[in-house]
Amino acid sequence: MKKSTDLLQLHRVSKSFPATLRGGEPIHILESIDLAIAPSRAIAITGNSGSGKSTLLQIAAGLMSCNGGEVWFEDQLLGELDSDALSSLRSRRMGFIFQASLLLEDFTAIENVEIAAMIGGSTKAEARSKGRDILDLVGLSSRLSHRPDQLSGGEKQRVAIARALVNEPAILFADEPTGSLDEGNAAMVEELLFSLVKKKGVALLLVTHNLAFARRCDEIQRISDRTLEVIE
Amino acid sequence: MNPLSTLLTLRKLGIGANRASKRRALFNLALITLVVSALVLAQIFVVSMSRGIADKWALLADGHLQLYLDSGQEPPLYDSIYAVDRVGEVNALLYSPDKNQMVRVKGVEPSYFNRERLDQLTITRKEEPVTSTLAKIMVSTTLAEKLGVGLEDRLALMLVSHNAIRAQLCIIDALYDTGYHELDEQLVFCDLAFLERLFGDGVTSYHEVLTSARTLDGLKGELERAGYVVTTWREQNQALATNLDTSRQAVLAVMVAVAILCGYFISELSAQMVEDDKTRIATLHLIGAQPATVRRAYWLAVMAITAVSLALGISVGVLLARLLPPLLAAIAARSYSALTFYLLDFPIRVPVLDLAIIALVLFCVSALSVHLSLRRVAAIEALSCVRFD
Repeated sequence: MKKSTDLLQLHRVSKSFPATLRGGEPIHILESIDLAIAPSRAIAITGNSGSGKSTLLQIAAGLMSCNGGEVWFEDQLLGELDSDALSSLRSRRMGFIFQASLLLEDFTAIENVEIAAMIGGSTKAEARSKGRDILDLVGLSSRLSHRPDQLSGGEKQRVAIARALVNEPAILFADEPTGSLDEGNAAMVEELLFSLVKKKGVALLLVTHNLAFARRCDEIQRISDRTLEVIE
Repeated sequence: MNPLSTLLTLRKLGIGANRASKRRALFNLALITLVVSALVLAQIFVVSMSRGIADKWALLADGHLQLYLDSGQEPPLYDSIYAVDRVGEVNALLYSPDKNQMVRVKGVEPSYFNRERLDQLTITRKEEPVTSTLAKIMVSTTLAEKLGVGLEDRLALMLVSHNAIRAQLCIIDALYDTGYHELDEQLVFCDLAFLERLFGDGVTSYHEVLTSARTLDGLKGELERAGYVVTTWREQNQALATNLDTSRQAVLAVMVAVAILCGYFISELSAQMVEDDKTRIATLHLIGAQPATVRRAYWLAVMAITAVSLALGISVGVLLARLLPPLLAAIAARSYSALTFYLLDFPIRVPVLDLAIIALVLFCVSALSVHLSLRRVAAIEALSCVRFD
């Protein structure tokens, strides 16, 4: 497939899970999904709980394999890459934010960001400098040496955003990034996320059930009955 | 090592980590140190005791080497020889008023009890010299207790030969104690001239040569090449020497087996570490860390803990072993009957090679088993951190 200039392309992607560990009639989650994201474009996926939004994001990011169809990312067919190549791709070209910040508990805010930078190929000095800069951008320059348990939920999520963007990825995958935050923090994180995505020209695949949040994207698609449709 | 591995390793070691991580690292360190120090202490104890027995036997019973000189042959004068003493010995019955005991009577000259030999035994005699005209003998405290006699008591020494039974009254001039009752209860010392006068041709005469255990075999070969008839204390006491060697080897084998188990146990620690850190590892995979990098960091952390524990365990084991002699002396002084035939008075010797073998086996086994157990790191999917959450 992959002929366009799209950054990420899903072509006729299907996913099903066995009903039980012993098999049985499979549960179909996604069926023949097509999705394309151009560089610097933001797309939101909405849908009811259990509709397959997160599954779609995980397949698009190469974190989960699909039963049918193809996922292309920058001329690479994800299904053909081995785990090392996928790791390398994730570290340099993709960023992730989930509902939970998923910070490393033993490491300070700046170390959490530095680690991602080092995994992305930066030297220790470069990683430290990038870490400082990006944490400054998310307004946490005074919290560099704080561990996750010394940060509020909103601050943790801001560190997670900094970590996701420190390697200047081509695309950011965000799965309910404000889902665990109170209204005030959610609004702040939302604002920060979109301002940074715009500023750095990063594509965004956002999964959310919050329509107002989704509306800040360039396009909204909804999953319903295992298929995807553009709604705005 | 790349900076990422360094950072992950240091944090896994508890350096710069929170209190819980430090506690976990210290607990693992203490656990391995404890096992290693116990192994080291046990090995030092067994080897020292075994060498202590060998020393007592070689220095007091037979000499390191036994030279049988032809007429006209002079004892050798080599740098590696500490002392050469002419001795004679017979087997005889020793009678007290109530009991008797078959003993090995050893006739020695006054120069026999040199510094090396005196280090192996304690001699007790009265301040006033014995004035009796009877022949003076020195028996062990073990034998004296067995015969129910003490200092200055009389004993009858009897030689049973082909054609006669000859008895000679003697007086106990001194008591000795080597701490090794198996040797003490059969060895009696007396003046060589007296022994030869009393037993005549029945005395087996030879020269005892003292050297170091290190040069023993070389010296024997050298003496044989020079035309001497020579045997070693091992050849004279083959059963004992073989038993000591076998015991040492068996104990070392057991220690090595325990070290292997300990190495496997360390891999279980690393497996537990990975189990505890599943979310962290999954998160690292999620943000693109190669499984090999993560695995290397965990391997280095576990092996660093192992290496430090080994060094600490060996130090603690050696230190405890150095503290043993006063404790053993106190136990020996209490004369527990269950310990009668154990040597409790011996110098502590650190068997460097044995300890190196134990340490090397433990390190290599743990390095390999930890490496294998950490293969499970690669099986932790990046996505699982989202599921754990």
